[in-house]
Amino acid sequence: MVSLVHAELRKLLGLPTAWIGLVVGLVAAPALAVLNAPAARRAVADGLIRDPSDLGFQDLGIGLLGAMILGVVAVSSEFTPTGDDTPGARQLTATLLAAPRRTRLLAAKAIALSLVVAAQGLVTAVATLALTERMHGALVPPPQPGRVLAAVLYWTLLGLLAWSITLLARNGMITLAVLIVNSTVVSLSYLLTKVTPWAAYLPDIVGAHMFLRGMDVPVEIPPVTAGLVMTAWVAALIAVATLTFHRRDA
Amino acid sequence: MIAIDHLSRPGRLHDVSFEARPGRVTGFLGPNGAGKTSTLRVLLGLDRARDGTALVAGRRYADWPRPLTVVGALLDGSGAHRARSARAHLRWMAASNGLPRSRVDEVLDLVGLSAEAGKRAGRFSLGMSRRLGLAAALLGDPPVLILDEPVNGLDPSGIRWMREFLRSSAGEGRTVLLSSHLMGELAGVADDVVIIDRGRVVASGTVGEVTAGHPTLEDAFLALTAGGTTW
Repeated sequence: MVSLVHAELRKLLGLPTAWIGLVVGLVAAPALAVLNAPAARRAVADGLIRDPSDLGFQDLGIGLLGAMILGVVAVSSEFTPTGDDTPGARQLTATLLAAPRRTRLLAAKAIALSLVVAAQGLVTAVATLALTERMHGALVPPPQPGRVLAAVLYWTLLGLLAWSITLLARNGMITLAVLIVNSTVVSLSYLLTKVTPWAAYLPDIVGAHMFLRGMDVPVEIPPVTAGLVMTAWVAALIAVATLTFHRRDA
Repeated sequence: MIAIDHLSRPGRLHDVSFEARPGRVTGFLGPNGAGKTSTLRVLLGLDRARDGTALVAGRRYADWPRPLTVVGALLDGSGAHRARSARAHLRWMAASNGLPRSRVDEVLDLVGLSAEAGKRAGRFSLGMSRRLGLAAALLGDPPVLILDEPVNGLDPSGIRWMREFLRSSAGEGRTVLLSSHLMGELAGVADDVVIIDRGRVVASGTVGEVTAGHPTLEDAFLALTAGGTTW
């Protein structure tokens, strides 16, 4: 198992697109924290921010794009045609020849992705929160370690969510389009919360309750409940994706 | 040793059985679409059969803990992501089966790709991709080789090199199974022949046995598989 995880880490970090995801994830949130600082300061002064302790944490959202790209690329790279001469040939063939036990293979893939994404999330969260503290000083209370860890968990689960959807779709473009539109342009899940409060429990938004306090949704979800609900969503998706991956021909 | 036993797959394979033995080159012949690749993919655990078994050295492929050390397989393309260098591709494959890194340079040298090791696989010619695929197959120095249309895309010197490689591999006691739809490339290389047509094995035995009654292996092949094919 250790050698499989090692191989999957090598595979993931050997892809140029994975590095785009890594860099985007690492840079976007701290950059936003700096750019946003004057506006955020005014917002706090005007009382527009419900809970000032959310400040740095809110900026983390944009960096999640990096985690999603990593989750997508880890799977979509297996299904990309390897050459124009051989349209049916994909890396997946080599992967399954090297690791024919599919459950073990997927476990190794998921572990490798989680390690990379969690490390990315931790570095990003620490950097963003440190910058926020530096710029706002006493305006923002110092971040609690528990909330930082919760943010890293959210980050990792979102990477795995993108990973499992891509495994079901066998195509990275679809997943990426849906997740990017949903997380940056307009959140369908958020709009749905205007229709029914239950939409607050959808996988992409429920997790944010783990580390954000002043969210604008009709229901109050405690952090631990939020964590459990999101973990359950991701576990269920992974289970379905694993089952279909087992059944399908490669 | 490869043992295919009563393999069936709806619409593709009908009760396919044959063996490939150590120290011999077994040619798996058939027209395009006859079921060669399908059989090999089931043998390698990539696709599923409805009935029957396909065993390598007595076990299903997926039951070998480090399969690259038992079977070397070459299928369509190189298997390398186009953004990855040849060396990077072989390194992750070696890592997955706990093989030493030094093995990567050895196999690159063996297939004559050392000079191109740092080049991205997406820029490889068809012939170079085949060589990279073969390098991957040889990583674990396996006693069994399974090659699907191995000379496709190779230039004449590459084809000659492949023939010599296959002969010497069998000479070292390896089991070599290769599929092909071309007769010329198999003449003089194969010891045993299995002919498949429309998902059924229509003949199998030594080259002499299958050719008996026909002037050449090609004539035997055409007589056994012609089945109304017109050009």
